[in-house]
Amino acid sequence: MRHSFASRRQFLGGTALATGAFAIHARGQGQLTDLGPTSPITLPWIQPLPFARHAVPLPPWASLDPLPRPEAHQRYDEFAPVKFYNMDVKEVLRRPHPQLAASPMTAYQGSVPGVTFMGRYGEPVLCRINNKLPTAMQGFGSSDIIAHVHNGHHASESDGWPGDWFSPGQFKDHHWPHIYAGGDYREAKGTLWYHDHRMDYTAQNTYRGLAGFFLLFDFLDSGDENDPNPDALRLPSGVPDGTRTERCYDIPLVFTDRRFDQDGLLFMDVMNMDGVLGDKNLVNGAIQPYFEVERRKYRFRLLSGGPSRFLQLFLSNGMTFQHIANDGNLLPSPIETDSVYLGVAERADIVVDFSQIPESVHELFLVNRLEQDNGRGPKEDLLPMNQAAQLLKFVLKPATNVPDNSRVPKILRPLPEMDTPVVRTREWDFDRTNGMWTVNGRLFDHNRVDAYIKRGTAEIWRIRSAGGWAHPVHIHVEEQRVLTYNRKPVDSGPLFCRKDVFTLKQGDEMELYVRFRDWLGRYPMHCHNTVHEDHAMMVRLEIIP
Amino acid sequence: MHSIDRSVPASTPHGRRSALKALLIPAGGAVLAACAGKTTTSTPSQPALERGATTFAKDGTRVFRNHRLVDQDGRVVWSYDDLIKGRVFAASFGYASCKGVCSQIASSMGGASELIAPMMSKPVWFYTFSLAEDSPGEMREAMIARGLYGRPGWRYLTGSAQAIRDIRWSFGFVELDEESDSNLTTHTGMARFGHHPLDKWSSCPAMGSPVNIARSVVSLFPPDQRPSFPALDYDGSNGARSIPGFKPVPQLVAMR
Repeated sequence: MRHSFASRRQFLGGTALATGAFAIHARGQGQLTDLGPTSPITLPWIQPLPFARHAVPLPPWASLDPLPRPEAHQRYDEFAPVKFYNMDVKEVLRRPHPQLAASPMTAYQGSVPGVTFMGRYGEPVLCRINNKLPTAMQGFGSSDIIAHVHNGHHASESDGWPGDWFSPGQFKDHHWPHIYAGGDYREAKGTLWYHDHRMDYTAQNTYRGLAGFFLLFDFLDSGDENDPNPDALRLPSGVPDGTRTERCYDIPLVFTDRRFDQDGLLFMDVMNMDGVLGDKNLVNGAIQPYFEVERRKYRFRLLSGGPSRFLQLFLSNGMTFQHIANDGNLLPSPIETDSVYLGVAERADIVVDFSQIPESVHELFLVNRLEQDNGRGPKEDLLPMNQAAQLLKFVLKPATNVPDNSRVPKILRPLPEMDTPVVRTREWDFDRTNGMWTVNGRLFDHNRVDAYIKRGTAEIWRIRSAGGWAHPVHIHVEEQRVLTYNRKPVDSGPLFCRKDVFTLKQGDEMELYVRFRDWLGRYPMHCHNTVHEDHAMMVRLEIIP
Repeated sequence: MHSIDRSVPASTPHGRRSALKALLIPAGGAVLAACAGKTTTSTPSQPALERGATTFAKDGTRVFRNHRLVDQDGRVVWSYDDLIKGRVFAASFGYASCKGVCSQIASSMGGASELIAPMMSKPVWFYTFSLAEDSPGEMREAMIARGLYGRPGWRYLTGSAQAIRDIRWSFGFVELDEESDSNLTTHTGMARFGHHPLDKWSSCPAMGSPVNIARSVVSLFPPDQRPSFPALDYDGSNGARSIPGFKPVPQLVAMR
């Protein structure tokens, strides 16, 4: 491709005059703000909801060059990979809205969000990630990368330890065995996501595009609403594969917020120490898209992709839906509700039955009623529905006679017993001192172990948020259980489940039952407001034999 | 007491982003341009900063005001022209009579600078900005006491309270409430790391492990420009290997 160089502003001006594409400019020009420039005005609902392509494994006759090194992985032979992926990380140009410029972003296999992995329990995977980024990347983001599958039950060396980053010209093999924790099918995970985890640059690298969905299926949550297996739940199924969306009713939705400069280029305030908030709401990388739905049941996998915004999502008509999974883990039973609350990195799977909407209604919106002005966290009171941020527009198609065979059974996935004896109790205080994020008053040190945990044991952890800040605390490698929330027992509701992100609002305390099985090595626990995470709100856990 | 209360805008604003090349793709007409944050110095027409404002101009350009400062040896320097523009640096904040975190900050930052000593002075600079309008003599005494005086690349800098506050805010160290923001006893313990030519910025606790600080500083540089510092290695291997036949790729947007 032949490039010609010109003054960027000259070109932008010329383009605006010629096409009008940049004729819409920012509100409040000339103001200095504490959050960055005000993004240009963009027309909502003029672009369809995009979907990432599915990750494609190598064909059976192909092999990775050089070959993987089994000795570099725990239990590799026991869970020998049956699928191999070869994924490049490169710089790409993407336009989050037709009225904005194409911005340089960073992509897993050319896709922002990254390609969607469709995994199955019992099918171990090896994924090679090749860093093909420019060596010198100007502006925010690092050319060093390390991928973490959130919340994969993977060995430490494949988990994406923040210090395991590697540079352009290098690759790293990740062994994802897809096993149940403790061999128990009740520990299955469904809606995971993967994202960059490079120390100091997680917020910047994910903001630039390094995040995607990672879905796991098994005999129960089989991904087939017509599954003849009597054990299968037959939840709405069919995950879109790029532009292939026909008969797709299992819809991943990642919500992010971003900011753009007056030229329509992606902007990030990397100096912000509290939390980065955008003034544009994106779904699957597109600003305020629309999605055409049939009048039937849909499963939506909702992910709060950050970097720092909290969400409480409602449907604009106030209708209820079935909340079926928390953090991607199926609940024991569905919960009928009219909203779900998501701290950064939390997931909620819901089933919406559009057949319940009157024929006269042709559209409705998915909205966020939480108000948040800074990285401290959201305000307590909900915004009125008519002032809520509209994230996604559903356009309802006319009713058809096509049968909807999906269902939402009253029993989903039972919870495993908490039958491993508790060997000790730990306290974790997430706090702030002299502008520094601390855990138990200490600063993060890669080479210092903050907790040695014997594999296969159980512990009680009390996690607290002090200092008037909200922190979504993420524990790697295994799902944990909430025993009490602000000293009240949790025996029902959306927290009565397995989780990997524990959103502590200001002053909150949770008591958790935790256990770490199957793997050894170092894993982090950290705040998933990625701005806090990047500024060292993290501890190192070490699982030992 | 040395006090300088004159905030001086730059006479010739330097827009680093203006140095970015814009490329045309003839087929699609798409604009390739940096998503970089952008830096410049302020101009006389810009309004006064509100409390806590990180400084951005209307086009997203990051604004660094150009303040007149004095270093520990009484030399006059300009905060943008002499300390930020074109430089790679690590900056922290403190004051000479601090009985709190400053000693630990000095120890950690000093330790980090020793770890990356071969890069010191050029191209990495270490700055401490005085939060208490210290005089050069007070700063010099503090540097001597903390073992930093005379080290290559180290500067202790003082100026008016407003000037230092502007610099602190421009580095993102702002408390949400005014009382906390102006409380010297709880002043920031964070360090700002900057690679101005690449518009690369990061931060970590200035009183943390010297190894962690040094890693953050070195990470500002492109991988192929980082010297090997075995002392900065993480424990354990990252398991990465070289891509056979890999050819480096240029960034979609390059410097002019």
